[in-house]
Amino acid sequence: MRLTRLLGIAVDDLKQNRKHFLLASIGIVVGIAAFTFFLALGGGVRKVVLGEIFPLDKIEVIPRSFDIDVSVLRVPLATEIIDEAKVEALEAIPNVEAVYPKMKLTIPSMVYGGQKLFGNNLRAELIADGVEPVLVSEDVDGEYPFEDFEAGVEGFNGWQSLPSATMCDTDEQCTETHGETYYCWGVDELATWERQVKRAKQRKKEPPPKPVDNPRCRQYIPIIVSNHIVELYNGSVRRAHGFPKINPDSAVGFKFDLTFGASMVEASAKDRTLSAKGMLVGFSDTAINLGMTMPVGYIRRLNVEFGDEKTAGIYHSAVLQIRSKDDVAGVAAAVKDMQLDVTDTGAEEAALLITIFMMVFGFVSIVIVGIAAVNIMHVFFMLVYERQQEIGIMRALGASRRDIRRIILSEAAVVGALAGSVGVAVAIGAGRLFDWVSERYIPEFPYKPHTYFEFHPALLFAAFGFAIAFCVVGAFFPATRAARTDPARVLTGQ
Amino acid sequence: MIRLRGVRKSYTTGKVVNEVLRGVDVDIGEGEFVAIVGRSGSGKTTLLNILGALDSEYEGSVEVDGRQLDSLDDVGISDYRNRNIGFIFQSFYLMEHMSCLENVALPAVFARGSESMTREAALARGREVMEQVELADKCDALPNTLSGGQKQRVAIARALFNRPRLMICDEPTGNLDASTAHAILDLFRALNEDQGITLIIVTHDDMISKACKRVVRIHDGKVVEGAGEFATRERPELDPTEDGGDDTPAPTEAAAPSQEAQP
Ligand SMILES: Nc1ncnc2c1ncn2[C@@H]1O[C@H](COP(=O)(O)OP(=O)(O)OP(=O)(O)O)[C@@H](O)[C@H]1O
Ligand SMILES: [Mg+2]
Repeated sequence: MRLTRLLGIAVDDLKQNRKHFLLASIGIVVGIAAFTFFLALGGGVRKVVLGEIFPLDKIEVIPRSFDIDVSVLRVPLATEIIDEAKVEALEAIPNVEAVYPKMKLTIPSMVYGGQKLFGNNLRAELIADGVEPVLVSEDVDGEYPFEDFEAGVEGFNGWQSLPSATMCDTDEQCTETHGETYYCWGVDELATWERQVKRAKQRKKEPPPKPVDNPRCRQYIPIIVSNHIVELYNGSVRRAHGFPKINPDSAVGFKFDLTFGASMVEASAKDRTLSAKGMLVGFSDTAINLGMTMPVGYIRRLNVEFGDEKTAGIYHSAVLQIRSKDDVAGVAAAVKDMQLDVTDTGAEEAALLITIFMMVFGFVSIVIVGIAAVNIMHVFFMLVYERQQEIGIMRALGASRRDIRRIILSEAAVVGALAGSVGVAVAIGAGRLFDWVSERYIPEFPYKPHTYFEFHPALLFAAFGFAIAFCVVGAFFPATRAARTDPARVLTGQ
Repeated sequence: MIRLRGVRKSYTTGKVVNEVLRGVDVDIGEGEFVAIVGRSGSGKTTLLNILGALDSEYEGSVEVDGRQLDSLDDVGISDYRNRNIGFIFQSFYLMEHMSCLENVALPAVFARGSESMTREAALARGREVMEQVELADKCDALPNTLSGGQKQRVAIARALFNRPRLMICDEPTGNLDASTAHAILDLFRALNEDQGITLIIVTHDDMISKACKRVVRIHDGKVVEGAGEFATRERPELDPTEDGGDDTPAPTEAAAPSQEAQP
């Protein structure tokens, strides 16, 4: 093949002038390496940020005139609410795959426990959300079910009429007769009640009502938490307090006490409290970011118990699962038409920021490659000048102008291909090194990824192609000049 | 074979127009052995480049086997050179980084169509022509390890590679001593007599021009001698001033030998 033979000449020339080209292609290598590195970094960061931190295919919808207070006590103030009808309307929006209505616990509550996980029992304010169990069934498929075990009973304490609520003295009895998800409810409560009665007598006051005639077996309230909590905890919180790292899998089955109506802030505490135990059954991105998520039935019964019937049918928000992130804008518009608002997740800002980052660094890298291409052009001009007699003799021996141009351009393409491969390899190497350093020396932080890079094949090909393209473009004018070499002039020494 | 009619050529440097050829008519027949002589700067090289299709910027007509050369495009003319013409220059122009054999086989790289051959075939043909110039043992040597005469023989082998009909030689012995020049001349003669290759040689060397069957002399941009149709062999009376004289107004042009090909 003629072309192969011309390429042979080109490769020969390259070997001849490798020192020139080595120097000239350093710029290409650096530029292409920077290009690949930063775009892969942007891609990797984007994957973590948009895939895990702010999933872009989910949006949360809240009533428009909601009191957007961070406090636990968020109550709908105006007419726009999310009820069953609204949920159905949301489901009807095109490209919405699923709607996860959420109900907030509107009373202050506390959680106590953690000996097993943290080495100490901790007490904390509880923020809780309720979701329909079916909506997280995909995330929670471990050994413990996530469902409302006390559905259909009257009031929060109505569970005592369930057939499984047999009388007991210890947790073991319940575990043996009913299963692992049961405990003996009432032992502590009765002890507390007896103390309260005693104190009331001393003060000559009315004693509080007995919470239960006899302790009975009850199922733990199944709880899920968001993956974000584990990330935040493992990444930073535990460091500050010197707690051990939590392995999500072994945390499942972890139990704790829940007290509803109580608060560390005296003023917001209710005049009576209700208690239960919860068990962690899994993790889900649908779960509330900071707090615990349980089947909506429990929340509804608690809200009714402390508030009024009307609040039972009202959701505080709804999460929409959207078919693809490209449909988000359309869905958001439809949501706004329904007098509802989309909460700001920060995803759009994050995406924009990453895009800007990628554009800036991509641009800088391309500028480097461009400057390198100018350098390549100089080298080719110089070589074309130096080699004009060689070119002349090739013309005399039968090379056409096009042949000469092809020889020069193939030289450029070969330089570009070599520099491009080296550049891409350098970028991948640098990425690996970066990841390794991060793995070894950078302490855990939330969402710390295994790799910060996404070396997509398309990116690598593009980088490689850029290297070739820039070199060929750089060599274009020198090649044209070489092709115009007048053999009669250069060979006769004029 | 080649017929030039009214060929004019001028170079313009800045505002100065230098008319080098002012209407050249000349015929070269198949199998001829022609010397082109004239004072330095008289336009010998210029004429030779036009004859060899290396220069296509001229006025007038150049016909090869009845075909106008300027009807060919760049590819056509390159192909014509590749198939039909072997060039020999005063300063050899060998590729310094290639072995002699690779140099000799270089025309194969640019061959088109029927002339195309495999690398093996090209190298085999290269050895053949190297044998012809009696340098079979220097195939793998690099050009700069050879003597001037050997280099010129390698260049001749390269010119012979594609079995040309015409060889164009611009002062082929200009850089060689007398005895080496003689050997080269013998080689030319053999090529002309045994293979019927047409030879056109520009030379200042009396020995060469005397050996030629025909001498074309140019003076003042015109052919003043030997232009005729298959001119019978003439014995030109050489002008004693020829070698030292200079036709060009520019004093810098004085019979300076051209520079070396590769630094
Ligand atoms: N490329 C060029 N540009 C400008 N002038 C040129 C060019 N080539 C040749 N000339 C001029 O044309 C004239 C003829 O040059 P040419 O090389 O044909 O002479 P020549 O007969 O071969 O001389 P010599 O015997 O010294 O080789 C000279 O005056 C030279 O200066
Ligand atoms: Mg000359």
